[in-house]
Amino acid sequence: MTPGTTATRFLDPELLARVGSLELLARAVVEGFMSGLHRSPFTGFSTEFTEYRQYNAGDDLRYLDWRLLARTDRYFIKKYRADTNTQCHLLVDTSASMNYAHESSVTKLQYAQFLAASLAYLLNRQQDAVGLVAFADKVHTHVPARNRTGHMRTIFGNLSMLEAGGETHLAESLHQLAEILTRRGIVVIISDFYDQAERLQEAFQHLRFKGHDLVAFHVLDQNELDFNFSEPVLLLEDAETQEQMPVLPDVVMSGYRERMRQHVEDMRRCAAANHVDYEMLTTKQPLDFALFSFLSRRAGK
Amino acid sequence: MSFLTPLFFLGVAALAAPVLVHLVRRTRARRVQFPALVFVRQVPQRTIRRRTLHNLLLLLLRCLAILLIVIAFTRPFFSGGSAAKDNTAAGATVILIDNSLSMRREGMFAEAQRRAETALDDARNDEQIALVSFDKRYTVLNRFIADKNRVRLGISGLSAGWDGTDYEQALRGAESLLGEIETTGPKRIVMISDFQMPGWTAASATFKLSNNTQLTTLDVGGNNPPPNVAITNVEARGVVFGQKYLDNLVVHVSNFSDTPKDHIQVDFQINEQTVEKRDISLNSRGSRVVEFTGFNLNEGANRCTIDIVAGDFAPDNRFYFTLRRETPKQALIIEGASRGRSDSLHLQSALTTNDDLPFTFALKSAGSVDPASISDYALVVLNDAGPISSALADTLAKFVNAGGQMIVSTGPHTQAESFNASLQTIAPATLREAVQTKAGESVAITEVKFDHPIFEVFQESGRLAAANVIGYFRSEPRANTTVLARFEDGSPALVEGRTGKGRVLLFTSSLGPSWNDLPLTPLYLPFIHQMVRYAGTREENAWYGLGQTFTVGKRQEQAPPAIDTPGGARLSENRSTPDGDLLVTAREPGFYRLRYNSQPDFAAVNIDGAEGDFTKLNFAEFAAGVTGGAGSAEGAAANRNLSDEQVEGRQRVWWSLLLVALLLLLAESFLARRTKMVKMIG
Repeated sequence: MTPGTTATRFLDPELLARVGSLELLARAVVEGFMSGLHRSPFTGFSTEFTEYRQYNAGDDLRYLDWRLLARTDRYFIKKYRADTNTQCHLLVDTSASMNYAHESSVTKLQYAQFLAASLAYLLNRQQDAVGLVAFADKVHTHVPARNRTGHMRTIFGNLSMLEAGGETHLAESLHQLAEILTRRGIVVIISDFYDQAERLQEAFQHLRFKGHDLVAFHVLDQNELDFNFSEPVLLLEDAETQEQMPVLPDVVMSGYRERMRQHVEDMRRCAAANHVDYEMLTTKQPLDFALFSFLSRRAGK
Repeated sequence: MSFLTPLFFLGVAALAAPVLVHLVRRTRARRVQFPALVFVRQVPQRTIRRRTLHNLLLLLLRCLAILLIVIAFTRPFFSGGSAAKDNTAAGATVILIDNSLSMRREGMFAEAQRRAETALDDARNDEQIALVSFDKRYTVLNRFIADKNRVRLGISGLSAGWDGTDYEQALRGAESLLGEIETTGPKRIVMISDFQMPGWTAASATFKLSNNTQLTTLDVGGNNPPPNVAITNVEARGVVFGQKYLDNLVVHVSNFSDTPKDHIQVDFQINEQTVEKRDISLNSRGSRVVEFTGFNLNEGANRCTIDIVAGDFAPDNRFYFTLRRETPKQALIIEGASRGRSDSLHLQSALTTNDDLPFTFALKSAGSVDPASISDYALVVLNDAGPISSALADTLAKFVNAGGQMIVSTGPHTQAESFNASLQTIAPATLREAVQTKAGESVAITEVKFDHPIFEVFQESGRLAAANVIGYFRSEPRANTTVLARFEDGSPALVEGRTGKGRVLLFTSSLGPSWNDLPLTPLYLPFIHQMVRYAGTREENAWYGLGQTFTVGKRQEQAPPAIDTPGGARLSENRSTPDGDLLVTAREPGFYRLRYNSQPDFAAVNIDGAEGDFTKLNFAEFAAGVTGGAGSAEGAAANRNLSDEQVEGRQRVWWSLLLVALLLLLAESFLARRTKMVKMIG
């Protein structure tokens, strides 16, 4: 499925913003995606019994049904339905800079929430355990990855309660999360990535060293790329530091665009160097585009 | 710097406009939260700073333009004193102080001295300063010195004089003085005066200051000159020979104010005794002539005064003059040997009908004249005397050379050869042939010099040409003689010549009716009288103007008399003519007493009547006249403190300010266009 269909229009972030429930939103977004295109990094066994099978040589004797052996003298291995195929943590940047929206009703944080909810729903639908981490200057929300009934509501509930605020220390937060997320899995980072590429590279390397598979969604408002203001003069205020700066947009526009382009390019290069699936999204882009991008990239994993 | 309309400084509030605009723009500048400020900050701020500078420059330009416009509306001007200090290099300054009569008004000269000292204080310590006082002349009191104390001493020692005012003369003198000094600094003239109109007239102005000379005028006369009535002139004949003064004594009285004056009493006194009083009225800016005649005069010099009671500026309310009644001198008429009726009958009759002639006449024939007695006479009339003896001719030559006066006429008895031989040394012309017109024809006397004293009375009537001349001598005037009248054919009719100290008038026709009908016309009497008066009278002024020089002769005494000034001081002047007569320059008004041993005499001196006109001169014309116009170089601008309006009007600083403001606004417009009218918040 590609963007541009009727479903895509339905997934317009601005329309989705009218949907009150993240769960409903996520379901609507994920509707139409057939199944997960990735496979779990583990052969997992959960405690939920599903069936027996005949013991074969080499099977782990821990799963041999000793009671059935004693009663029937036959060797059966108990099979349990796994809780998840993989563990996925959704890392949502809630720094103040994510609260930005220019000529749009959807802020970057909202977009991140929609995206995270959709991804959570998608992952949950394919039996992956989904966790949620929200951070700004530090990690302030952590929902461990689970694949249990009702876990999605926890995820959605936490997602919907996220509010933007605080400064971004993205690299530090990622380093912190690398220590917290001890089990290998997929780490989806949804952020505006206002940090130095070199520092982020170290953080990516840290996460990669811990065995995580990294996906980076670089969420920006279109105006962060264009720097297109109608006023001749603006008093720009840093959303995080409240520092103010008089700016003549027509004067600084070209310089700014160049630097922003360079930053995105640095991010892309940094991601590529660390085998991070990087996708830059603007808040005007449909969510299914993000999902499609995510799933297509995961297809080869 | 002063301001004519300082209230306009309230307009400075308009300066708030551009500031408010900037502030308003600032409040309108939307505050926008922006996440990627880090990248904005990385954009080189030079452009923004330059824009900021541009905008600040725009603000400054606008504020400055408004400020200049406001200042222009306040009509600023520079006062003279401060202007003197504007230049950085030490230069040369000539302080010109008017000490003319008009500066005698109460407190005026003290104010002039104070202003001079202020100008002196304002000058740099190393400024070369010259001090010059002026009226109709100028007097250099200090040549250029850098010693302010000496100049200050010179200023304090000055006082107002009695003479009139001549600004052009003073400026000429000052510039000439400035030409003597070499300096790299500015050259200035500070003129302190009451700037009255009579001192300078545009029509007669011929002098302009050079462009590198600054003129600063300091007015001490005030803006509203006081009204004044003055006696501006008295026309009188200084010497009379009869007891009664038969001519008209004409007194000119002028009202120099814009309001009419009534009941002005004119008091005529002779020797401090009132002769007659008149009560006159004067229109505004009007003049009136008052005439006196028929009054008696004592023998000798009579001190006469005309006073008016006007209660204003006193020095011009009195006019001094002398009327001298002298005893007529002896004159001799020499005629030819007559048979029967004298040829000099008409002449003799004409000369005895008037007792105001300077001579009493005796008539003798040429043959009966004792040459030795000629010296007893002051005038000899040789009336168609015919051939005369060589002894008489020699005596007459000596008489003329010694200062005697002669009137010579020809006629039927005159023979040219004999005439030329006898009188060749003294006659102003050589006679040629005698001309007799045809019967019924005559020639007229034409080409008359009416500006000569003899003929000036005929100037208006012109009737001298009415005389019919039937006989005359053609003649050839000698060198250095003057032909006063000619006949129709161009031949001289009346020739004047000087020999030695004397004078000879030659009439080439007859003074009797033989060759013309002049004695039968009304022209004869005034012609003869004028000729006799001219021949026999020494010019005597009834009065002298201040600054004029008059001679005081020895008369019959050994030495010139001592002279007392009107103030009572003994005159110490000792300039004299080659003949030993004293030359006296009139310095103060009143009667100079000439202390002759035999009988005291007097010389009257009066101020310039026009000096009583305190009307302000036209500064615009004055500035234009002496500096080359209002648009002349700044350095030549004439400032004055008399009238702020006039000073401001002359300087027109507002014009320059508006021009600069306009240029600033143009620059602002250009700059604003370049920066797309973007305003920077502070």
